[in-house]
Amino acid sequence: MSNDVQMNDSGGEKQDDWVKITSSDGYSFLVKRSVAAISGTLKNMLSEDSSFREAIANTCPISERAAVVEKVCEYMSFKAYYDGPGSKEGVDVNEFTERIPPEVALELLLAADYLEV
Amino acid sequence: MSRRGNNVRGPTSALTEFLRESGINPATIARRVATRNQPENQPQNQSVAGPSNLGDNVEDVPEEEQPDENTPQASTRTRRGRGRNTGYASDELDEPAEESPVKQQKSAKGRATAAAKAKAKKKAKDDGEYEGSSEDEYRAMSKNLWSVGGNGSPKPPAGSFETCARCEKQFTVTKYTMAANPPPGYLCHHCAKASGADPFKKPAVPRKRVNAAEKRNVVSYQERRLPSLATMCIELITRYIDDVEALGDIGAVNMDEIAKALSKNRGLTPQNAHLFYDVLNKKLRFYDATNLTPDALMTLASLNPNLTHLHLDYCGRLTSPVLLAFSTSMPQLTSLTLLGPFLVRAEAWIEFFKAMPGLRVFKITQSPRFNLECMQTLADNCKDIGELSLREIGLMDNEFVDPLCSLPSLRVLDLACPGIGMDEDGWMKIMGKHGSTLETLDASKHEGFTDHVLEESVRENARVLFELKLDECLSLTDEGVARFFSNWAYPISALKDEDHDMDVDSDPVEVSLISLEPFTPNPPLRVLSLARNQALSSAALTAAIVHSAQTLAWLSVNGLRSASSEALAQLKTAKELRYLDAGWCRELDDFVMKDVVTACTKLNEIKVWGCSRVRGVGWGVKRTIKVHGIEPSGGM
Repeated sequence: MSNDVQMNDSGGEKQDDWVKITSSDGYSFLVKRSVAAISGTLKNMLSEDSSFREAIANTCPISERAAVVEKVCEYMSFKAYYDGPGSKEGVDVNEFTERIPPEVALELLLAADYLEV
Repeated sequence: MSRRGNNVRGPTSALTEFLRESGINPATIARRVATRNQPENQPQNQSVAGPSNLGDNVEDVPEEEQPDENTPQASTRTRRGRGRNTGYASDELDEPAEESPVKQQKSAKGRATAAAKAKAKKKAKDDGEYEGSSEDEYRAMSKNLWSVGGNGSPKPPAGSFETCARCEKQFTVTKYTMAANPPPGYLCHHCAKASGADPFKKPAVPRKRVNAAEKRNVVSYQERRLPSLATMCIELITRYIDDVEALGDIGAVNMDEIAKALSKNRGLTPQNAHLFYDVLNKKLRFYDATNLTPDALMTLASLNPNLTHLHLDYCGRLTSPVLLAFSTSMPQLTSLTLLGPFLVRAEAWIEFFKAMPGLRVFKITQSPRFNLECMQTLADNCKDIGELSLREIGLMDNEFVDPLCSLPSLRVLDLACPGIGMDEDGWMKIMGKHGSTLETLDASKHEGFTDHVLEESVRENARVLFELKLDECLSLTDEGVARFFSNWAYPISALKDEDHDMDVDSDPVEVSLISLEPFTPNPPLRVLSLARNQALSSAALTAAIVHSAQTLAWLSVNGLRSASSEALAQLKTAKELRYLDAGWCRELDDFVMKDVVTACTKLNEIKVWGCSRVRGVGWGVKRTIKVHGIEPSGGM
């Protein structure tokens, strides 16, 4: 039992650090590593098995403008919060959909497609 | 046993039912185990084996009847009694009423031990554990039943003499001695073995239960409580589709990207398809039009009247009226590519071709109703056609040759995977007509595409061919293809001098005529596929590489299983190679791959499915190459 707890701790430390996501127009966003890992693309970028520059610097550039990257980060945080194994509360999808301004929807779709979220 | 306490009974097998009817239950068996040393109790307990063998053995072994008199079961007993009173066992068997119990008992006798075991096992499963006390009783019992002879007496002690029930020789009883099956008596070692049973077989050890914690946690499906961001965006776009301004300005390049993203989620719907419509649109491509209804497809035609190029993948709902709407609403259309228009009827194709004489590119895949008449109308009306692709057309046969030959000279011809296909002469005619202009040829799965077609008509006619796909052309042989590739660069007449085994019946005048023309050989191929031609091997591969090494960029030799590693190593001379599919080339190994990836610096995608000698180690390249199909535990 004590072993389990320790392992969780050591795993948790790595999951707990922050990674930086930068947009093409120079904004940067700090998110938890576990949050970034929701995106398949970012997860691979940051994977320790790879020697990508992103993994070493803990920084992922996304070539979209800040408004789009912000929404992506927002979605990932939203998903991390509601999709966690512990949370059984109902998710109101509209709560998030309402926060996407329609004018970024197309760009966001392309970003989401690329980032696999 | 615990089940017997309550009154709930599930469905039982015939055997279980029989055992229950006969009064055999764990309690009686346990009692029998406890008292089996007392001989006077034995016959009473031997209720299974005793009566069951009676029908078979009544003639051979009369003394065997002895224990039956003590059989306690009333129901069987009366029948038996009657049977014995007739004095002849076969009479008893003939009685239909008797038949079923006898049969049942027969099967029961054979499986008596198995039954006990199975019952024990079932019990144990039901209880959820194997270490119940009942389990021990059952297993002891089953052993006991196995070794007890048909006459019900316990097995004689090891070391004593017995007469074998089959060969009637005397033998010494050991702990491995088995009871005869059918009883009575015991078998000597030879007879036991000859009967197919293994005397040394150990009783089956119960499987150990896997701890719940040790069990792998297999996620069979993932619950998606939150839709993906892409799905949300598609939903949003669909909602605001009428307010195009709100969606912002998007360039043409992005349009295609959006079309792809939508298709990947199968998100293209009649509502959001409007995003891609524009009166000025010249080209439109949908990657997945599954959700577009016939009405939506008609809307597509009327909202994009100036389209010249239309490409629809998965257009399963494209019906005959839609095709006619295409011809009336989009008069400029010159290029039509459809994947899966299987609802379109022959009459609609004919109407369409009549209305669209300006068609230049016509490519369809999977249209089972496209018949000879459609082909004929296409040939009669569309005189500008340059690219024709009729893939997976079920009705394509030799009759298609004539209309195909009446077409103007084609640049692209793809007739892959037909239902029936053309014969050799048909292909000779087609190549004679179109060979000199063909740039791309796909004759996959045509049995009529033979060595002869290659050597005679392709070699003679093809002058600008750069893409050749001959997947699964089962008539091709290794020698034929090798000869074709090694001679392709030389004029026919030169070949005639060299090659004595060529046909001798062509007249010399023709030869001299050909040799008089300035000879321009076909340039080396850029795309070559010889996949799934199992007859092809090293010679064909080597000749093909030698011929096309300079320019070959895309190569599939999937399924050339006998191609040697030396031949495969020749791939390193193809410096332009970008894509290689070498699946199921069993001789391919890491050493060859190392040479190939080192030499072919432009190679960026490799498929090595089924190459068990390729383990992906020691290639020593730093470039990014997409490699598919390396087995993680591939044996050397």
